[in-house]
Order: sequence, then C-alpha cells, then structure tokens
Amino acid sequence: MSGAIVDLSRAPQGDLTVECCVVGSGAGGATAAWELTRAGHEVLVVEEGGDYTGFQLTGRDGAMYDQLYMERGGRATSDLAITILQGRVLGGGPVINAADVVPMPASVARHWQTKFGLADFSPEALAPFEAAALADLSANVPEEKQINANNAALREGAQQLGLRHEIMMHDRVGCIGTGTCLIGCPINSKRNTRFVAIPAALDAGARFFLRARVTRIEEAGAEVKKLTLRTLDAKGYREERTLTVRAKIVVLAANAVASAQLLLRSGVGNAHVGKNLMLQPQLPVTAFFDREIRFFRGIPQAAAVTEYERLDDPEHGFWGFRIEAIAGTPGIVASLLPKLGLPGKEVMSRYAHMAAALLLVPDGPNGVVRVDRAGNPLVDYAMPDEQKQRYRDAIKAAARVYFAAGARSVQVPYARPLLLTSERELDRVDAIGFEPATAPFLSAHQQGGIRFAPSPKDGGASPEGLVYGTRDVFVLDSSGFPSSASSHTMAPIMTVSRMLARRIAARKGG
Amino acid sequence: MGALSGFQALSRRRFFRVTLGVGVSVGAATGGLLAMRGGAPDVAGLRVLSAHAYRTLEALATALFPPGGPIPQGAAGMDLARAFDGFLADEPAHHRRDLSRALFWLEYGPVLYERRAKTFSRLRDDERLAHFDSWATSQSLLRRQVALAFRKFLSVVFYDRPEIWPHLGYDGPLFGDRSGK
Repeated sequence: MSGAIVDLSRAPQGDLTVECCVVGSGAGGATAAWELTRAGHEVLVVEEGGDYTGFQLTGRDGAMYDQLYMERGGRATSDLAITILQGRVLGGGPVINAADVVPMPASVARHWQTKFGLADFSPEALAPFEAAALADLSANVPEEKQINANNAALREGAQQLGLRHEIMMHDRVGCIGTGTCLIGCPINSKRNTRFVAIPAALDAGARFFLRARVTRIEEAGAEVKKLTLRTLDAKGYREERTLTVRAKIVVLAANAVASAQLLLRSGVGNAHVGKNLMLQPQLPVTAFFDREIRFFRGIPQAAAVTEYERLDDPEHGFWGFRIEAIAGTPGIVASLLPKLGLPGKEVMSRYAHMAAALLLVPDGPNGVVRVDRAGNPLVDYAMPDEQKQRYRDAIKAAARVYFAAGARSVQVPYARPLLLTSERELDRVDAIGFEPATAPFLSAHQQGGIRFAPSPKDGGASPEGLVYGTRDVFVLDSSGFPSSASSHTMAPIMTVSRMLARRIAARKGG
Repeated sequence: MGALSGFQALSRRRFFRVTLGVGVSVGAATGGLLAMRGGAPDVAGLRVLSAHAYRTLEALATALFPPGGPIPQGAAGMDLARAFDGFLADEPAHHRRDLSRALFWLEYGPVLYERRAKTFSRLRDDERLAHFDSWATSQSLLRRQVALAFRKFLSVVFYDRPEIWPHLGYDGPLFGDRSGK
C-alpha cells in the first residue's frame, strides 16, 4: 500500500479493511502512525480537519479559527466558563499551538509510578522516547534576538524581583516572527507532526483520510472492529456520506475530549471513560506600557516565570502556577477583553503598547466528558476554591512582575473590569469570584478522560494504552495521563505515544 | 467563525430552551409584547436570520462599537449581523434555532428585566450598552453566557477588519490575506 493523503470531501472512497486505524493526526496519532507503519503495519489515519500549510494559513482570525479549531473555535465547557481549544487539521494541535517544547519532568513520571501504579513510566524508560520526540521537534532554545519586547518585559520583571524564570524550548526553525503561530505558521517554520511524523508515515506507506469523522466503534471485543465514518463537506461543516472501515487494531488519538466522546457514543469501555478530565485552564492578563511592545510580532510565547510552580507536589505532581508571555491577533485579543463601547475602543487603541501573559494553573481531575443524544460532547468542569485562589495568587504575581518591568497598569479580564495601577491595589483581586462565564479561561492542554491504570477498577485503559473491555483498541494521546504531564503537552504526548506504539508493534509482530 | 464564542456549548444548554419558553409565555400572557418591538425592515440576502433578529444584532453591534473615540469607525455600515448570519447558516439546525431564540430573548431583555416599555433595538446606543453590560454581570448564568458569546463573536469580526488595524498600531499579517473580507 502506498502512502497518500485523501480528502474525502473531494475523493469519495468505498468501504475498506485495514490492519490498523488511527483516529486523529496530532501529536499522538501522527507519532503512532509513523511508528506502526515503519514497523510494517498497514495504517489508515482518519482526521476531521483539512490540510492547511504555507500561505493557506492567512493570518486572519475568523477564517483560521473556523478551519483549524474544533467546532470552529467554539468548543467550550457546558457552562461556557472555559473555551476548549483543540486542533482540527492535519497535524492536529501542534499546527496551532505556541510551539513550546516542555518535556515531562522526571518528578511527574515518578509521581505516576508511585501514586498511580504506572510502573513502566519511569524517567529512565521514557528517556529514549523523549529524546526522539525532541529530535523530531528540532527542539531548541530561541536565540536572544528572537525574544521580543513582550517576552523581554516578563523576563525583566522577573529579574527585577529575583524570581526564577526561563526561556522555553520551541520547535521553530527559520522563524521570521510573523507572530501568528496560534492560527498556523505561513512559512512552515514549526517542525511539528505535519512536517516530520506525517511525511515519514507517508513515506512508509500510511494513508490519511481527511474530512472524515469516526462516529462509532462496534464489535470492540472482536478481532476485527467496525468503525463508522461520516465524511464531511469541503469546509468540514456538514456530514455527508457514511463509510465503514474494518480494522484489527484501533488507536484513539483524537484528544482527551474527543477520544472519550467516541468511546462514550459507541458504548465502549468501562465506567471510568470520560472521568478524570483535566483542562489546565489558563487565564490571560494584559499590561500597558508607555513604550511600544508590539507583541503581535515575533515569538508569542518564550518567557515563563517558573518561581511558583512545583514539579514534585506529593499529592498532585505538577502544581502551583506559571506565568507565560502570550500574544494574539486583534480580533482574538479584543474578544478576551471585557470593556465595550468607547472604553473598549480606548483599550484596543493601545494594542501596540500591550503586553500579555497567560496564567497557567495545573488542575486536578475536575472534569467529566459526557455525550448528548446526538453524540456531541458535553464537558462539565467544577473549579474548586483552591484552584480559584491560585488564579488570584497568579494575577497578583503577574501584576508585580509587570509593574517591576515598568507597566503603567495591569488589566484583569473579568466581567467587572479590574484595572490595577499599582501594587497597592492588589487586594482588589481578592474580590474576584470567578463565577462561570465571567472570565475568559482557555484550555489548550486537555488531559485525562481515559486514565491509564493497572486495574480496570481505577482507570479506563491499561498502562499499555489498551482500553479496558476491548480487544486491541488503544488510546495513545493525553487521555491516559493521570495527572498534568507538563505545562505544555505536545512533547509528553509524542513521548508516550511512541513508547506505547512501539510496544503494540512489537506485540503484533511488526 | 465561531472563534472562541462558545455558541456551540451555549446552544446545548438544556435549560436554555426552557428559559426562553418562560420568556415567551410571559409575553403571551401580558399581551402585546410581540407588537412592542414593531416591524423590522426587510433585509435582502439573509440566509438564516429573520429581519427582526438581524435588527437586534445590528443594534447590539452598533452599541458595542459606536463611532468615534480613538478608532473613528463604528459598526454601523459594517453589516456585522450579516457575518453572523453567514456563520449561523453553516451551523447545525439546533444551533440555528437556539441562537435565533437568544436574539429574540435579548430583544425583550429591557421589558423582562428592567420593566421598560421599549425593546432592545429601540433603546439609544448608550442604553443598549448599559443593558448588555447588565447581562454580562447578571446573577443569571444563562444571561452571562449569552452576553459572553455574542460579545466574543462581534469583537472578533469587528477587529479582524483591516480598516481598523491602523488605529491599533497593527500592520496586518506579514503574509496571507489583508483583504477586507
């Protein structure tokens, strides 16, 4: 079988039988497809999105969120409190992420071993697969000349206050600073799944079906599973035709929400499926400087204040909070700011003087994925008071950093807008209640939902990724993570996916 | 072009339908509520929205983005409601139905919650902005959700327009589409 990318909205296909079907083409799916294909297995990858590279990535908010993100950028928790950002494009999340490469800390791997009984996830066992992931990603630290004023301001404030901070590794090579990473890189400088694992899998013979949605898995306990696919129109808006794929091995890698959704709507798996979801919600804050920042040019996210994160919390592993620089195009930035009318225009007129950060707060398993009668996902998420307090602490810490860097004011994007003009006003942050739909929380690193556990009493899949109650249905994305793997999940997903895919290939005689 | 709006999640709220039903029932019981909004002029070329829903959304857009201030352009004349109509036309049928209902509810917000004798699109711009702000900070989760979703959508569409960018100090994407579409 020769490798190919087939857009089913343009080239209808008939029913077919393959050895292995991978659902999702992101960090987990593309890596697994590559590993299985080069081990000699016949692989078909099914992806809902289209293929967008180069100048097809127009740098325009409306069109790109529409085409590159799940539910046209509109996926959210049931109470609308948290926007769930999930890639829907060939290459998945890495195509639209901030390109940060932050491997799973060794302390988190040990936490998974001791607390969750995942004996095989030792730092030593993961090390070669992590090294391979970093090599795939061409992981490198941005050069000093690539640190723009937005990242420099955050770093300067941290330095002034003596706070621990870092410049994160990234996967860009030849970046010229277009600044539109979150809606795709028009010069293809991100060395991610789309440009490494997918071409390699194609060379080895993998096929990729685009614009197709797997809606059901049947006969999950049989040697040959039946997958129902619905093809989509050219824009991915509407389902059109039905297609059946039969496969001996099924690999779920559709993201923590979508993988659980598929099992739930198929009635496959045990009672843990959909439980223990983590969203790692992030809250943006903005600061205003007299000097021009122009955060919309250059690398959006490189500097991070790491003073307040804990990597070896006995209960949670990765905990505390991080402050990371961020930037956005005008439409998205405006959509996250609270003021409207003339005051809103006043705020946006200072766009070029704006700095911004995301407050990244690792969470516990506070979320649940359900499905409605039509099979659509419903994500319920209850944010505990302890987590809300960490956001308040993070807002204060970020404000101190920005004031130390010379900011005139710091704006908290709350429904009742809160503009801080000095450290003396930080107590006002204590009044923020974070009621649902009052603050623009974003989730970019969904994890859990089909937790790995040594026993079906404690999770939805085995430590090998086998979904309990099935024969050869595996989950190789972040769904299996029992706690937050890292502040950025791309590298950990690739690491775990490769490790588990190699084991599947070895067992299946590849 | 749902860009972070969360419309899809909003539409799936089961009680959304229930609450709207209550609002409509109140209107029917007190009589004359439907007449209160008056007629809406026909709008050519709409794919999904009714003329009344279009008018409500245009009234909201012009209140959120009035002319003047540091950005001279306002939403008037930009036809942002048509952009929403285009978005909505490509959504599943239940989203189209529920979001049209949300606009109906917003139109009657001043009557239902402020005991005014005017519907939303008949208020002045500053009154509409104040009323919409009251939804954003309401004790009702559903009203906050509606406010959040429409605010996000309209903000993305308004600030994604190239004629706005010079007033922000933004020179547009380095590559790709710089058109007014």
